[in-house]
Amino acid sequence: MPTPAGPLPLTILCGKGGVGKTTLSLALALRHADQGRTALVVTSHPLPELAVSVSLTGLKEKHPVAAGNLFVIHLNPREILDGQVKQQIPSQLLADAVLSSRIYQSLIEVAPGLKELAFLSQLQKLTEERASAPGSEAARKFDLLVWDAPATGHFLQTLKVSRNFDIYLSGPFALLGKQLTHFFSEPSHYALLPVTTLEEMAVEETIELCQKLGEELAMRPRAILCNLTSPLLAASGAAAAESARAMSSEGTTNPDLQFILDRSAIERSLFERLRASVETEFRTVEREPRWETDLDLLLAVSRRLEGLPDN
Amino acid sequence: MRIQIFVGTGGVGKTSVAAAAALKTALGGSKCLVLTIDPARRLRTALGIDSRRTPAHIPTSDSPSPQSPQPGLEQRIPLDSLGGKGELWAALLDVGETLNRSVRTYAQPEQAKVVLAHPIYHVLLESLAGMQELMAVERMDQALRDGFEEIFIDTAPSRHAFEFVDKPEFFAELVSFPLVRLVGRTYRWWERLGLARVGRKSFELYTRVEEMLGATLVRQILEFFSVFRSIAEGYARRARRTLALLRDPRTASFVIVTTPFKAKRDGDYFCEEMAKRKFPVGALVVNRVWPPLDVRLEPNSPPALQETVAWYRNVSQAHQRLWEQAATSFAGRIPKLVQVPELSQDIDGLAALHRISQIIEL
Repeated sequence: MPTPAGPLPLTILCGKGGVGKTTLSLALALRHADQGRTALVVTSHPLPELAVSVSLTGLKEKHPVAAGNLFVIHLNPREILDGQVKQQIPSQLLADAVLSSRIYQSLIEVAPGLKELAFLSQLQKLTEERASAPGSEAARKFDLLVWDAPATGHFLQTLKVSRNFDIYLSGPFALLGKQLTHFFSEPSHYALLPVTTLEEMAVEETIELCQKLGEELAMRPRAILCNLTSPLLAASGAAAAESARAMSSEGTTNPDLQFILDRSAIERSLFERLRASVETEFRTVEREPRWETDLDLLLAVSRRLEGLPDN
Repeated sequence: MRIQIFVGTGGVGKTSVAAAAALKTALGGSKCLVLTIDPARRLRTALGIDSRRTPAHIPTSDSPSPQSPQPGLEQRIPLDSLGGKGELWAALLDVGETLNRSVRTYAQPEQAKVVLAHPIYHVLLESLAGMQELMAVERMDQALRDGFEEIFIDTAPSRHAFEFVDKPEFFAELVSFPLVRLVGRTYRWWERLGLARVGRKSFELYTRVEEMLGATLVRQILEFFSVFRSIAEGYARRARRTLALLRDPRTASFVIVTTPFKAKRDGDYFCEEMAKRKFPVGALVVNRVWPPLDVRLEPNSPPALQETVAWYRNVSQAHQRLWEQAATSFAGRIPKLVQVPELSQDIDGLAALHRISQIIEL
């Protein structure tokens, strides 16, 4: 079992809605958990909702090691914020009074970026506690921290808002904002892994996301994960070309083969467009044609994510 | 007057389906508007929507006066080539523009000027969770006023797309707490004399919150909402009216759009959520179903080709199976079940929409 040399970076899976961020986050964490490392997935989906889309039923029976090492939580920004307020106010009584007051409750609903800031600083805290205290309880607790981020718009907003905060803020929260900016200014602290499918809208959005990350936040992806691809995409150039030739000679007469040919051509051209637009590493995660349970799917997918993230 | 709302998770093709449904209805002779959030580039071209994304800009005092029209907000799509009798219009749901328009329409000119120029207004547009949904409801009201007979709206790509309906009074609630009522534009005066009026306890809490968040932020928010309050209350009234329309099966119908792999789960989820909110579900559209693929290869074909064809056949068989499962499962629960095949990409734009419009019957 390969052991990473240092602490793994905060791993962020971002991208368009519906491309498979949650599935890949869980698969990635499952891989590490199965290899004996503790892994925590921080998901943007409330857990009951997550259970609707993915189920880990059967994990304990089939993979006891992974089951003991895999943790999934949903951080509720509002609860984090309340917690941070409690820390700031020494008197429990006064803290409760503030938290339950309509003044506070209404203000934090409208105070721009406050919840985002609270959320990110909690992520930062979870990451840095591991890094700064090797061998401690916290360090053993999570070798890998994966943020299953919200869809592109909200994700960018979350990152941006926390940086633009100092215009408005003074006091304890301003300090959190400064720490956060500092954390994200060091590329080794995080591994940004945008996820995309090879469909027009997803590819356009991914290109735009990477541009904005670079221009507005000076952040670069470590790799782009192309999800749900066909086997032809990963085939070597020569094999793919040979297949394409073989298909196109028959394709025009057989509509079903023509369908395959069209889909493959679209997939290839979108992949090329992506590669020409974003300078980074690319990983393809082939679509599983069939699976029995969600767990089977996650395990199959997780095998395709070997070596991610590097530190 | 009819409103169809297209809901679904990300990347399932809500916009295409909504636009195709609008096209079909328009070709039947109605004046239709398709309101979309963020269509793909080629669909933008088909719908004649400006390809540049309109940023939520900070309005200045040079902004148009409340009476001036909003040019370019809706684009008419020429249907001559399809022999259409009705009208098809398309518009991007622009959160900033929608709220700007409401402020200009419903606020006193002086009040509008203060709101539009306020820094908090700009941040509010960008950062308030659910702003897009709140504005979708407002935009529906505007479209009905503009005389559209049929409105097709595709919602934000998220499972939370209609959470907004739980909180039509959202804005009004935000601004109704006593402190904001008191402060108004005289909050500096209040700072000195307020203690007597709000009571010691509230004042102490206020001071604490101010220490926590920073005085500038708190004061800006209070100042802003004291002016914004009446606008928010007007919004809540209109939202309640629009939501009543959405609950009435005679005027509204929700269409769940999904893809084969998500069909069962999305269908169950949205049916349940909409039943909770008493919204009428009209149809389930399973989009991008691959056709059954019957390809027999020569035994000596290249291995990569054999593998590819086998993979495509597997996926397409899964699509067929999942569509049948969904159709069985939702029969009787959802009035219309529609399957839209994955289109070959040699057709594009309006032609592609026309093709889908011939398949769907909503």
